[in-house]
Amino acid sequence: MSQQRAVKTDSKLEKILAAGHLAVTSECGPPRGSDPDVITHKGNMLKEYVDVVNITDNQTSMTRMCSLAACIRLKQLGVEPVLQMVTRDRNRIALQSDILGAASFDITNVLCLSGDHQSFGDCPNGQNVHDLDSMQLIQTVRYMRDEGKFLGGDDIKRPPKMFVGAAANPFADPFEIRVPRLAKKIAAGVEFIQTQCIYNLDKFELWMKQVRDRGLHEKVYILAGLTPFKNAGMAKYMRSRVPGMDVPDDVVKRMSDTPKEKQAEEGLNICIESIERLKQIEGVHGFHIMAIEWEEKVPEIVKRAGLWPRPEVS
Amino acid sequence: MIVGKQKPLDEIWSMIKSHKNVLVLGCNTCVAVCHEGGNKEAEILSSLLRMRASQEESGIAVTNSGVERQCEHEFFDSVKDAIEAADAVLSTACGIGVQFIAEKFPTTVVYPGLNTTFLGAVEKIGVMKEKCQACGNCVLGETAGICPVARCAKRVLNGPCGGSTKGSCEINKEVDCAWQLIVNRLNALGQMDRYETLAPIKDWSTDRAGGPRKQIREEIQE
Amino acid sequence: MAQSVAVKTRDTENVSIEVPLERPSEWEPEILAFACHYCAFAAADLSGVMRLSYPYNVKIIRMPCTGKLDQSYVLRAFERGVDGAFVAG
Repeated sequence: MSQQRAVKTDSKLEKILAAGHLAVTSECGPPRGSDPDVITHKGNMLKEYVDVVNITDNQTSMTRMCSLAACIRLKQLGVEPVLQMVTRDRNRIALQSDILGAASFDITNVLCLSGDHQSFGDCPNGQNVHDLDSMQLIQTVRYMRDEGKFLGGDDIKRPPKMFVGAAANPFADPFEIRVPRLAKKIAAGVEFIQTQCIYNLDKFELWMKQVRDRGLHEKVYILAGLTPFKNAGMAKYMRSRVPGMDVPDDVVKRMSDTPKEKQAEEGLNICIESIERLKQIEGVHGFHIMAIEWEEKVPEIVKRAGLWPRPEVS
Repeated sequence: MIVGKQKPLDEIWSMIKSHKNVLVLGCNTCVAVCHEGGNKEAEILSSLLRMRASQEESGIAVTNSGVERQCEHEFFDSVKDAIEAADAVLSTACGIGVQFIAEKFPTTVVYPGLNTTFLGAVEKIGVMKEKCQACGNCVLGETAGICPVARCAKRVLNGPCGGSTKGSCEINKEVDCAWQLIVNRLNALGQMDRYETLAPIKDWSTDRAGGPRKQIREEIQE
Repeated sequence: MAQSVAVKTRDTENVSIEVPLERPSEWEPEILAFACHYCAFAAADLSGVMRLSYPYNVKIIRMPCTGKLDQSYVLRAFERGVDGAFVAG
């Protein structure tokens, strides 16, 4: 499994990975309103079954409760959050400022993303910022943490101690640069990767082989992304409508050939079988289970995949 | 060149209808190439407005003229009198020309006949595509001659993002992914090793972010 | 007064299209024909020679070639109240 690497932050995720355990992460989307119970309910559901929970940042550009506030809610529940940050909505001043705000609550994980284009969301007429891109946000967080400085060069009092992550999509085009792109993120300073949902395991294995050929699996922790299908319609939607998603026809067929009342069960079966196969791949350090609006199934997936109970670290 | 697109006739009509004597003024450089605001288009537009005026039984007089470029003083000599005689000018230049007239003729009302759309090239006749955003700090040397600032919907400098699919941008299949084009060209140039160079955090102070820009050539300055 | 209605095109774009005015029953449109000297105008000329009649509300303008036709000619005709333009060449 993974090599022992030095721990640089108080992140539970980092400690679990450094100890050589397979990490399990999940995510939850904040509500489209100010009700804190949505987050606490999802947080309580996931608490015993995953190590950390990502809070998405206005995913698909739909305006929601901010990721930072929702992360604080989780933290107060005793669930360790991963603060997702997209570069779409904030410039370098706001990003650095929010990083400090998160660090003041001892939020120790950040995931750096560019974010879906605003045309997908509820404000397609809005501006986008993209002052930094995702790689430059990685560099920014690492610079703030390791050098203890702002991008402007001034010293930060109590620099943010964050474990820095990013996404990788092994299936997006052009395929030939998927691995060089990962190498580039590592050069920027990324420490863990959560991948796009994996349905095409053959292609993922090929990507991982190329990752290993360059020794990148020893430089970054790779968590394989999984999203169980609720029904055949979702599989078809993901295949044809979601950019950068690779859902092979045989997976869609397996879902559509299943009677409607058993499709949810079949979706979970596919997910668990995928985890079993992914466990065999050298360089996979854990799983990122994104059960979209289906968080209640995460405990079952974690248990059936033999990933429960979760390890304790101090 | 600067690309523009004529505003809808209804919008133009609602801007000018309260005037008595309107001059439609074409600009025969960039916006003539895209067949939206040249002197010919100004002539056509003025005819359409005269017909609209007669339909609306309005007494408004619409005439037309044109110059080579509405962004330089020297071209205005031939139309100075016509502009001063009009109580409003409908300029079919880009936004630069409209503002140039506003500064040059402080007591004449000026309206834009076009929406200035982008800085682009004529890919083929009738097809214009955006190529540059005048960020003031050119990165084309690092990106194989294809601009991610102007041609990527997220102006990602270390791309592509995860939304690149079969050569297209996530926002629309009709839009090429700039980073796919960059990778293709790096490949063609045998320079794929350059892909892994991290683009540093960009200085946007030379862009719109730094405020209105000005440039002076002292040795030729009048 | 011209009225317009919003019409949904295939692109679901709202485009306003004018509704034609009511016209009296005895009304005849004024048509202006732009005819090429070498073919259509020659044909019209020949119809005169052959004593063939064509509607009196069509007026003909001889063009050296229909390639000489300009948008402004057609627009100017409409501005002056012509109801239809006919280009033959």
